[in-house]
Amino acid sequence: MRYDRILEELLNRDDFLVVGRSVVRTDALDKVLGRAKFTADYVPRDTAVVKVVRSPHPHALIEGINIEPALELPGVQTVLIAADVPGENQIGYALPDQPFLNDVKTRFVGDPVALVVAADKGSAVEGADAVRVKYSPLPSVLDTTDALRDGAPLVHEGGNVALTTKIRKGSIEEGFSEAEVVIEDLYDTPYQDHMYMEPEAAYAIPEGSGKVTVIGGMQSPFLVREKVAHILGWDLNQVRIIQALTGGAFGGKDDMGPLVCAKAALAAVKTGKPASLIFDREESVAYSNKRFPARIKYKSGADKEGRITAIDVDITLECGAFANRAPFWLWRQTAHAAGPYEVHNASVDGRAVYTNKVFGGSFRGFGDVALHFAAESQVDRLAGELGMDPVELRLRNILKPGSRTTCDQLLDHSVGIEECLTKVAEASRWSSQKRKRNGSRVTGFGVGCAYHGISTSRSTPDWSAASLILNQDGSMTYRTGICELGQGAPIGHAKIVAEIIGAPMESIRIEVPDTDSTPNAKPTHGSRGLMLGGTAAADAAIKLRERMVRVAADMLGCPEGEVDLRDGKASKKGEPGETIRFPELAEELYNRGVSPASYGFYASPKRYFDPETGLGVNYSVYTFAASVVEVEVDTETGVCEVVKVWPAMDVGKAIDPLVIEGQIHGAVSQGIGFTIMEHLKLKDGVVLTPGFKDYVVPSALDTPEYAPTIIVEEPYQHSAFGAKGVGEPAIISVVPAITNAIYDAVGVRLNMLPATAEMLHAAMRRGAR
Amino acid sequence: MMVDFVLNGRAVSCDAPANILLLDLLRSELGVLSVKRGCEQGECGACTVLLGGRPVNSCMILAARVEGRSVTTIEGLRDEPIMVALRKAFMEGGAVQCGFCTPGMLISAYALLRDNPSPTPHEAKTAIEGNICRCTGYALPLEAILKAAEMTPAE
Ligand code: FES
Ligand code: FES
Repeated sequence: MRYDRILEELLNRDDFLVVGRSVVRTDALDKVLGRAKFTADYVPRDTAVVKVVRSPHPHALIEGINIEPALELPGVQTVLIAADVPGENQIGYALPDQPFLNDVKTRFVGDPVALVVAADKGSAVEGADAVRVKYSPLPSVLDTTDALRDGAPLVHEGGNVALTTKIRKGSIEEGFSEAEVVIEDLYDTPYQDHMYMEPEAAYAIPEGSGKVTVIGGMQSPFLVREKVAHILGWDLNQVRIIQALTGGAFGGKDDMGPLVCAKAALAAVKTGKPASLIFDREESVAYSNKRFPARIKYKSGADKEGRITAIDVDITLECGAFANRAPFWLWRQTAHAAGPYEVHNASVDGRAVYTNKVFGGSFRGFGDVALHFAAESQVDRLAGELGMDPVELRLRNILKPGSRTTCDQLLDHSVGIEECLTKVAEASRWSSQKRKRNGSRVTGFGVGCAYHGISTSRSTPDWSAASLILNQDGSMTYRTGICELGQGAPIGHAKIVAEIIGAPMESIRIEVPDTDSTPNAKPTHGSRGLMLGGTAAADAAIKLRERMVRVAADMLGCPEGEVDLRDGKASKKGEPGETIRFPELAEELYNRGVSPASYGFYASPKRYFDPETGLGVNYSVYTFAASVVEVEVDTETGVCEVVKVWPAMDVGKAIDPLVIEGQIHGAVSQGIGFTIMEHLKLKDGVVLTPGFKDYVVPSALDTPEYAPTIIVEEPYQHSAFGAKGVGEPAIISVVPAITNAIYDAVGVRLNMLPATAEMLHAAMRRGAR
Repeated sequence: MMVDFVLNGRAVSCDAPANILLLDLLRSELGVLSVKRGCEQGECGACTVLLGGRPVNSCMILAARVEGRSVTTIEGLRDEPIMVALRKAFMEGGAVQCGFCTPGMLISAYALLRDNPSPTPHEAKTAIEGNICRCTGYALPLEAILKAAEMTPAE
């Protein structure tokens, strides 16, 4: 394939211009000056405000909705209910199980029933209070065990099991019969709130008749467009979605973007005036999607040599009120069940179960966090039983080029986990680190490994597009539907373009994603933003480069192969004297009628799996990570502190080492929060901790020391420069590393997260060493 | 309700609704958009401004309370050498991701370095303890603050 050959050539460059170096982010200046614009910053002062009327019951029939008392209030402009939805009143992501506005029944505390549109926030809140909804409460199910009982109240008519998954590989009977030790246990992981600093926000502007523009925080403008059009009953081209700079997302806004934007859009279209919907922090924590809770029953065995002979895994995923991303989440957990190890005998069963609680959804690590928490705890315990070093046992099973994954996918290249683990063990002096006691404080060390398939689960076809225009003055306009959420993926694309074209970074302007002009890059999720989006950018850049080289060769009077493009100039290789600056070259392209615009498109190699056995090629490539963690546990209070983290990741090719470091630190911090701090408390389906005060996330005081990030580069053949996504794997590896370190310190295993001081203290009293 | 105060060194006089928060006075009435609303619960620090030189959460302060006082946002510190150094260190040190927490965190860091030109790592942590950042995990911002301290010319 010509395209692969060019990528190959690029990868083998020995002098990279910007790839692999840390550069100052192109959006940093506006951000440190306070000029960066987020959605709320676009909303003019007198814009109408939308407030959602929500069910106070976990499960209830709607007997009637009286909007009159609200309409009588002076500031209220209108109240919208299900009957006002012109399109289909349905906004479920994977399954059609989530009404946009409920008129039959509500399924969780917070389920939307009506939208009040008012002149200002105060009137909107009053209006929402004035809407009279008559509910007739139904019995509810508040955990998966109850939901699975015979005769349990049904959250949805079809039953409480939304879907199931399975893998059958080899023979677990044989595998367990070869085992010297077998461990079986239950692992529970809770909801986690994203706590992005910018709450959900959308601002919608009607544009004459039959068109609406929505500016909002999101991860996929084209998904938002689809959902908004669906709710309005309009064509896609009647809806224009603009992604404003988004103040953190971590998966959450992939789901919330469409939900929030569609509400603002409906209000704007119905009133004919701009409308904004901005969540309060309380709303965000109580009613927005969360990390799906999971209960994983995990049985694994290993022989005398420490080889894992079989796994038998049973996953119960709690959807909450709607399936949302559960099919993808559960499938990811199923497909990754063995962890980054080669295991020939595997049986995995998964089921996603509805309850009358806030719905789960996308969150960094997407299912692999819970799965690896279980798998990596098991691996440590097998090592313990065998009296083997946990790193050693991991190395005996670890995936290598030529290994097969849980799903029997052959990994022929780009498998760097062995190197990650070896190097991180070395850097942390793993073999000489010993548990230490200092008064009531005990220090322990733990290790965790992870792998994470890049891109959307369930073998969904994946592709991405981008566009690049060389303007007459030599500057470039780059467009991608991949969103800037803070992670810097679009800037990574610009680096890829700069590298290929030889254009200075500052000459490339990244336009905001706008569905009226931006090519569809599919969502910014699944660690695909840099890898898929960046490869489309590379495609656009390669095509444009070829034309620029052709014209430059003619101007310089040399063969195309001798043209060098760098620093915004074209010259003959080895003769930097005679140069053509890009403005001049650009002008020449225009004058000769050579197209200065380029559309990049890239599709992932095909993936597939057999629904009966679950076997197949599930992800085109995997990113790998390993972490070693040092914790200190106070045996008197149960307070655990993560003291130091040694991170390692196989990133394929580092486009920007500093960005990778930032992604790892951010993911580790969320992992620390998830493991020992963040506790979303619910009672009868009501979230009791709707803010930073009660739902405590890490502050600067909880920052561990970080060893320098170990970057392993095992390039992927089919991506720009071989890069793989880096946003997710660190949280996956660090969570079990922390709990393994706690075990090392105090000899207790907390299989139910979060391991807060309270819980750790109680567990230690029950049985510490 | 009239509020007269000094905003970023300039006297302003603003006719604002009674009971308005300083955060809303700044954002909606005066168009100072660098001040962010992250929680309105006084818990995240995105709305940090200097009131009489001290960092405060502007979502916890009624606008009436700033009458006759001085309020400084990041715009007002543009040319301050400490802020110039902080900006450079944040940009070059990878301390900025989504940027939503950044103005508030820079204000807290500025107040720290103004009062304590060579803080210890722990002092830096304490200074931005109230500024929640969900993206960076704090390590690079903390490094940047210490770097800025080194870069700032001693007075
Ligand atoms: S908005 Fe003021 S502290 Fe969060
Ligand atoms: S950079 Fe996003 S919250 Fe701090």
